[in-house]
Amino acid sequence: MRSVKTLATAAEAGRHQREWFAGLRRRVAAGEPFALLNADVPHEIFRTMDIPYAVSQWWASLVAAKQRSGHYLELVRRRGYPDYSEQYNSVTLGSAFDPEPEAAPWGGLPKPDIVVGDATGDITRKVFDIWGHEPGVTFYPLESAAENEVPANWWELMPHRWEQAVGPARLDLLTAELDNLVRFLETTTGRRFSESRFRAVMALVNEQEEWNRKTRDLIARTRPAPLGVVDSIPSVMLPQWHRGTEWARDIARRFYEEVRDRVDAGRAACPDERARLMWIGRGLWYDMGFYQRFQEEYGAVFVWSMYLAIAADGYVRYGDDPMRALAARFAAFGDQLYTPPWSGEWYVKEARLHGIDGVVHLVSDDPRGSYFTARALEAAGFPVIEIHADNVDARTFDDEVVKRIAQWLENVVLA
Amino acid sequence: MPTALAALEEAYTRRGAPPAAPTGDRTLVVGYVGADVPVELLTAAGVRAVRLTGDPDSGSAPGDRYLGRGVDPAASSVLTRLLAGSFGGLDRVVVSHDCEASLRLFYALRELRRVEPGTGLPEVYLVDILHLPHRTTALYNRRRIGEFAARLEAWTGRPLDVAGAVAAHDERRRLLAAVAELRRAVPARLTGRQFLAVANAALPVDEHIALLERLLAEAGQLGEHPGRRVFLSGSDHDTPHVYEAVESEGYVIVGEDHSFGELFLREPVGAGGLDALAEHYHHGGPTAHRATVSERAAHAARAVRHCRAELFVAYSRIGDEAPAWDFPAQRAALDIPAVLLERQEYGRADLTALRKEHPCAV
Ligand code: SF4
Ligand code: SF4
Repeated sequence: MRSVKTLATAAEAGRHQREWFAGLRRRVAAGEPFALLNADVPHEIFRTMDIPYAVSQWWASLVAAKQRSGHYLELVRRRGYPDYSEQYNSVTLGSAFDPEPEAAPWGGLPKPDIVVGDATGDITRKVFDIWGHEPGVTFYPLESAAENEVPANWWELMPHRWEQAVGPARLDLLTAELDNLVRFLETTTGRRFSESRFRAVMALVNEQEEWNRKTRDLIARTRPAPLGVVDSIPSVMLPQWHRGTEWARDIARRFYEEVRDRVDAGRAACPDERARLMWIGRGLWYDMGFYQRFQEEYGAVFVWSMYLAIAADGYVRYGDDPMRALAARFAAFGDQLYTPPWSGEWYVKEARLHGIDGVVHLVSDDPRGSYFTARALEAAGFPVIEIHADNVDARTFDDEVVKRIAQWLENVVLA
Repeated sequence: MPTALAALEEAYTRRGAPPAAPTGDRTLVVGYVGADVPVELLTAAGVRAVRLTGDPDSGSAPGDRYLGRGVDPAASSVLTRLLAGSFGGLDRVVVSHDCEASLRLFYALRELRRVEPGTGLPEVYLVDILHLPHRTTALYNRRRIGEFAARLEAWTGRPLDVAGAVAAHDERRRLLAAVAELRRAVPARLTGRQFLAVANAALPVDEHIALLERLLAEAGQLGEHPGRRVFLSGSDHDTPHVYEAVESEGYVIVGEDHSFGELFLREPVGAGGLDALAEHYHHGGPTAHRATVSERAAHAARAVRHCRAELFVAYSRIGDEAPAWDFPAQRAALDIPAVLLERQEYGRADLTALRKEHPCAV
């Protein structure tokens, strides 16, 4: 089932993404350096230095949406590597092994000169390091550090008191790694890093995410919901990959205005809204229609995904030292979503804010603290159903899931 | 008197249990998880330290529930046993960030203490040693080692004897390296199973040292093990199950690259201070979970030559996939046959794959 998008900003973001990618291919073909970055690394540095880059997970989601992830996992397998491990990154690695790169979606991902990833888990560093062994590719790894004791209310602390939330050890480490990254990029690309431009980029990112915050708050308090996640995800995520540009800031504002206009006009994703659902987990990129499947029959609307909510709460960082503020954005980024107590407390806060009636929790094989997320939500009174699948590997998805959710809606959420 | 080997093997059966203490002894008992806990500091603090291990033969449902799929089941087993009180009365648990499973275990323990205090789990502490080969990481590790030392002093109320502890552990490492030479002899004078027991005997460092000295003195009495020589690469083996399965087919495991085996015997710490300890743990390994594919391949080539292995077996447990990523480059770097046992169940080895690759194994 194809998803139906109704938002002009979602359509515009999609159009912009195609134009941007075509332009990126032209720039790389003309000899500019190209960086492939993991989602959780500080893109802002590349933005500041005007080094063209793409995001590994964005590419994987595009490949999955084109139903091509199996092809790339097969290329990974043919090199002898496992095709059942960290698919979100290995799908993109598969493109490095593609004998016909131009047959890939959108003309293909150019060969990167630089790949940057953080050493989360046991596999990510290996995947990027393997990539770094392709001719002409350099891998710049970043650490993924952890903290013993953290305050639970990170979303209140992060905008201004991030030092307290993240802790100085991790901030010192990532700040130093980023200072070194700038020097590495200056040396290898010949580009300059302008501190004043960096400050402007950081300010644009905060503005963009503040618009997302207003949008999130507006959706949270509006009944019936003015839009579902099929609209909000592209409207927030495509601009997210262009963080630090005026385009991204402006479309975040227009996204807000469009949602506000819908609210003012009384338009709703599902006028007969009977249940507000929360989607926990990465997007089901190969079946975005899934999210609208329960609207007609059950009036059940997915009003929440992490993408808008983490934009609202997870990125804003103010402060006089922009490099340390940037480190604060990423030194514990994944913890916000996946590590208890941060994850559970935040999902509960968001579920309350949005008036959630039921939670659908996608549990991937990746080791993420999902039990504690479900436990926190259930303890707070929100019904949770877990489904097991990988979000880019359609082979792992099972149609029984839809039936199970329908039964759960009937027997639990709407009972 | 039993032979030293028998005594060490007997002590290995008590792995995961704290060494017996005289009644009234109030010494702190600290369980630890993972290859990157600086055990020298536990010794320096005078606590009784026990490396926590799993058990493939008892269920792991509670641990699986909290840690989810996709985590090394050895960690689920450790969590299950912690919840069941199988390790006796632990006062603290110290966890390292040596792999994703250990980190997830730390988070689960920390959160269970917070939201389900009825589980009665002990206080848990993370030692976050990282491994990128850069000065930025070295400085971070030094800070974390310092914090851990301060925490231990706060726990015991006593200053640490770091120099004495490092000297003792270096001596144990030196003796274990000499024992590893016995296993590397042709024919091997120890099986892999025996070496695993000798290296992981649940003993205080001084008692361990005494038995290792005696084992070396008794080396002349050791048997000969002429089986096909295997190098075992990949996942950690916190129990003897896989060693026993492989060696029951007539192989003898003469080397390995996981943290319960020979991998951590290579270098002494040397100087008895926190700086040297930080550097030692920074450069530890190369483990499947923290090293790059090429570091692992280069190490495999060196180690296989050193122990004159005839067959390279890479073992990758379900939920512990890093070894499967290492395998293609390892195979390419080797001049002996290599086989990958992937998606293996905890405590099991699918030897049909091995037999298929090596029909003439005895
Ligand atoms: S089975 Fe084949 S690969 Fe294995 S040892 Fe015998 S000849 Fe060599
Ligand atoms: S063929 Fe098999 S049994 Fe015969 S010597 Fe070779 S390995 Fe041993």
